[in-house]
Amino acid sequence: MMRYHPLTILYRIYQLIKNSLILGILLFVVKRNSDFWLFEYGRYLFVAGVLLRLIYIVVSWFVETYEWDDRTFQLKKGLFVKHTSTIPFSKIQNVTRHTTLFHKLFGLTSLTFETAMDGDDDAITFQVVSNQHAAFLLELVNIEESHMSKLDEKESEKESEQTQQEQEVNEAENKVETDLVTHFEPTNLDLLKASFTSLSFLAIIPIVTGLYDIIGPLLPDSDHYQGVFYQIINSRWLIIMLSVVGVVIAIIIGIIRTFSRYGKYRISSSATHIYIERGLLDETHFAIEKQKIQGLEIEQTLLKRIFGLAEVKLISSANTQAEDYVVSVNSLYPFLPINRAYQLMEELLPDYYVEESMNRLTKISLYMKLLKPSWFWIVVTAGLFYFKPTIFQIDAAWWLLSLLLLLIVIMNRILDYLHTKYLISEDQLQWWHGGLTSRMFITKRRRVIEISYSQSILQRFFKLASISTMNRSIPARIETINDVPLDFAKTFQHWYLQRQKDTTYQQNG
Amino acid sequence: MNELEHRLSSKFPKARIISETIGNIIGLIVLAVLFWLDYYFGWPIWANWILIAVLLFAVAGTIWSFIEPHYLYRSWRYQISNEYLQLSYGVINKEWVTVPMSKIQSVSTSQGPIMRVYQLRSIKVETMGSSHVIPALEEQVALELRAKIAELAKLKEVDE
Repeated sequence: MMRYHPLTILYRIYQLIKNSLILGILLFVVKRNSDFWLFEYGRYLFVAGVLLRLIYIVVSWFVETYEWDDRTFQLKKGLFVKHTSTIPFSKIQNVTRHTTLFHKLFGLTSLTFETAMDGDDDAITFQVVSNQHAAFLLELVNIEESHMSKLDEKESEKESEQTQQEQEVNEAENKVETDLVTHFEPTNLDLLKASFTSLSFLAIIPIVTGLYDIIGPLLPDSDHYQGVFYQIINSRWLIIMLSVVGVVIAIIIGIIRTFSRYGKYRISSSATHIYIERGLLDETHFAIEKQKIQGLEIEQTLLKRIFGLAEVKLISSANTQAEDYVVSVNSLYPFLPINRAYQLMEELLPDYYVEESMNRLTKISLYMKLLKPSWFWIVVTAGLFYFKPTIFQIDAAWWLLSLLLLLIVIMNRILDYLHTKYLISEDQLQWWHGGLTSRMFITKRRRVIEISYSQSILQRFFKLASISTMNRSIPARIETINDVPLDFAKTFQHWYLQRQKDTTYQQNG
Repeated sequence: MNELEHRLSSKFPKARIISETIGNIIGLIVLAVLFWLDYYFGWPIWANWILIAVLLFAVAGTIWSFIEPHYLYRSWRYQISNEYLQLSYGVINKEWVTVPMSKIQSVSTSQGPIMRVYQLRSIKVETMGSSHVIPALEEQVALELRAKIAELAKLKEVDE
């Protein structure tokens, strides 16, 4: 039976301070003279809450324990109601090692094992753990996973029957058991591009307004500096100079932000796992077993499309919407050149192959997309008609806004028509869709847990259909493309009904 | 593609209309009470408008609830094989669903008071990400189907 690292207490207190700081300042500094009941009682509540939490943090450290055997973790917690949960190693989907500044200070790290289970106990988190112990825990889980892979071999053999090439790949995989291959590290040029596409230079706006909020009240006399302001306005040169300096500062801040987030980024893989390391100050190490990846997604926002960049995301069955990560953990790298993205996908997951030429929609689909009523536009227009808001003193603003919205809706639909491409091959499904932001989805037939296709009245008239797939994730991942020919929907269903080809059943149910 | 094999019980439209009508009557009574309260306490004018809008929807919904069950019955088909459960249904939007047996996690039947009168049962199938209901089958058919799905769903794929 093991307790968590004693510094967990300190870490939680640090988190408590971090989270309650703003509220504390509001209650005791900014509004210290306010008699408003909310602040009056809020202060008592705040103190009571913080004290209770402090007691809880200390006591819970004594109560929360964990232990392990060959196959499972057992976690115990609960002050009044004892709670024990058992989590088998085989259910662990991915591992994240997050080293914040706090951890660096003490030479420690944190470790999260995410599982595909639903509910509160879906992850095993070691908020503070020594590096050796972290390595030990990783080892513990990994050893079990290599046991697992023996079980899976049957399946991969079955897969590789299809092409010899795949068989070779499998053999190659078996040979390089532990060799790490680095696939991607961003160059400075990549990072520069990224800092412009991410619009991170706009970050200066909240920073400046934030600074003004803090400094503003401290500045002595507003009349006094209104004079300065007028002088600035009057001199054209000063304005030009100031705005140039402002822009340069904004760009520099944007670049620094991008470098600290995406600099020192490495994507590597072994035969069984994919590893992503990132961050200068806050380090994150993320590992996921290839076997557990349900599909892939490439996302291009309008701006990224202009720059030829894309973001690749892994779809895994674990719940990866963790709270305090700046970059979503399942994202490979948000600013990959599109060809590099395809290449990386194939390198990391040899099962997957990206086909460049895909089926496109016919003109009929375009008519369908344009004819479909936009409920969103109708509701907004009705609202605008009723309230008739005046914006910038323009009386006609309501129908101008409505018209603008209509144009955006139409443009989005035309773009969606242009972007939609689809292909099903042997055991793989791949499609692009989306308007302003377009997305590619790619998955294997055996990873799809349910399919459906549907037809609205209008689609029936045009002989079109919408098709959907569902993949394991939390919540279940549903992907849809609209207005494909009905024949393709039927082919799609037929293809799915051949699913047994790719799957093998467990011996004992 | 060929139509799927099985249909719902032919008693489905009748049972559905009765249960929906009961629901609608209760809804309309509640609405009538609200109108009376509006009149009695002199609620503001916008409350009036909302009530009228709700009334319009309720009336339209009531009319629809008399028409829909027949068409829904005609559209509903299901079929099971050793590997898949297939469903197709829908009046305005038509839907075709394919679920692999190995992904089904639970199957249950249930019976409300009106369905008991007609000796019908509904079947609910749940997977990791969705749930599907076959709304009305003859009691015997439903129990057999449940047993069969439960048997077939026992097989699990290696993948998980």
